Amino acid sequence: MTSETTDGAFVHPALFYRDEHEYVRRTAAFLTEGRAHGEPMAVAVPGPNLELIRTALGADAEGILFLDMTEAGRNPGRIIPRVLRGFADAHPGGRVRIIGEPVWAGRSETEYPACAQHEALINAAFEGRAVTILCPYDETALTPEVLADARATHPLVMDGDGRQEASDAYDWRAVVDRYNQPLVRPADASAFSFGGQDLPKVRHYAVARASELGAAGARLMDLELAVAELTTNSVVHGGGSGTLAVWTEPGRLVCEVHDGGRLPDPLAGRRPPEPGQIGGRGLMLVHYVTDLVRLHTTAEGTTVRFYLDL
Amino acid sequence: MGARRAKGGWGAAVPQNTALEVNPLSDRPGIRVHGEISEVTRPSWERALTELSRHHQDVSYLELSEVAFVDVAGVTALAVTAMDLADGRFVIEAPPPQLSRVLELFWPDLDRIEVTSG
Repeated sequence: MTSETTDGAFVHPALFYRDEHEYVRRTAAFLTEGRAHGEPMAVAVPGPNLELIRTALGADAEGILFLDMTEAGRNPGRIIPRVLRGFADAHPGGRVRIIGEPVWAGRSETEYPACAQHEALINAAFEGRAVTILCPYDETALTPEVLADARATHPLVMDGDGRQEASDAYDWRAVVDRYNQPLVRPADASAFSFGGQDLPKVRHYAVARASELGAAGARLMDLELAVAELTTNSVVHGGGSGTLAVWTEPGRLVCEVHDGGRLPDPLAGRRPPEPGQIGGRGLMLVHYVTDLVRLHTTAEGTTVRFYLDL
Repeated sequence: MGARRAKGGWGAAVPQNTALEVNPLSDRPGIRVHGEISEVTRPSWERALTELSRHHQDVSYLELSEVAFVDVAGVTALAVTAMDLADGRFVIEAPPPQLSRVLELFWPDLDRIEVTSG
C-alpha cells in the first residue's frame, strides 16, 4: 500500500509497566517522539501519574493537554467521545498522539467490564484515523485477567524496556462480547412499566424515587435527562415499551431501563455527532452525565443501567 | 387527549397529540411556551421553532419559565434552528435547567443562543 495508508493508520499500543521509573521513561519517550513530529498531544491518566509525567517533561510539557482520567474518564463510556475524539477532532489534518490510562487498580468490579469494553471499542472508533493512543497498564497492581484483556484489546504491546511487538491475542470483538454480561436487578428495587403514553409519567416517577433515595440538585436533573433519553429510546426503538427501576447501593444511585429491543451497534452513544445533526445524542448524554453505564444487549432485549455517585 | 390508538408496536407508540401551549409575546418578538418539551410534544415544539425562525429578525425571544422539562431532542431542535438563522440570535428566558446543561455539553460555543435567567 502507499505510504499515505500507513500515515493514516490507527496505532494503539498497550504499555505494560512495572514501576514508576518505567512508566516515566516510556511515556516521556512517547511524548518526546510526538514533539519531534510536531503532533498535537494529550495525556489523560490518573492524577498522580499525570504529575509524574508533567514533572519528567519539565518545560517540554508546555502545549500538551493534561487531563485527570479519574475525572474526565470517571465513566469509561464517555472517554471515546469526550476525551479521545474530542481531542482528535479538534486537531484535524495530521496525526495526534494521546496517552490514555482508563484502567487502574482502584477500578471496581462493577466498573471494570465497562473499562474493558471501552478499550476494545477504541479500535473500532479510530479505525483508519491518523491517531496514536498509548494505554499504560500497571503490571504489578492489575490482575492477570485485566492484563490478558489488554492483550486482546490492543494490537500492539510494549514492555517497560520499550520493546514493542504485535499482540498475538488481539481480538477486540471478543472482549466486547465477553463483558456483555447479564445485569440482575435487586428484588426490592422499585420498578415502573411504561409504554409510549407513559413517558412523562415514568420520568416523574424516576425523579420522585431518586429524590426519596437522596439525589438532589444537578444530580437529580442529570437523572431526569438520562431517564428521558433511555425511556424514549425504548418506546421509539426498543419495541414500544419497557421497565424502569431505581435503587441505591452504598454511596450511589442506580437506575436501569430494560426493553425488548436489541442494540446492534457497539459504538452507539460514542460517536460525536456533527453540530447540525438532528439525532444521535441520547445515549451519549447518558454517558456524559452519569458516573458509570453498564449495558447488556441480546436478541431478547436490552438493559441499560447507569450509576450516579451521591 | 382521548385519541384512540393501538398500543405497542414499533415506533408507533408515542402519542403525538399532546400539544405544547405556544403563544406570541405581546411586548417583543417571540413566543411564550407552557408545558414539557419531550418526545410527546416534539412535533408542536418543532412547529413553533419553524414558525419563529420564519418571522425572525435580529432578536427573537423564547420565554420558557412555564416549561418544566426539555429533553435532548428538544434542545437539539432549538440549537439547529438557531444555527440556521441568517443573522441575529435567540434569547432564551428562564428555561428549565436541562437546557443550559445540554447546550454546554453539545454546543458550548453557540453564540446564536443567549440564555437569561429571567
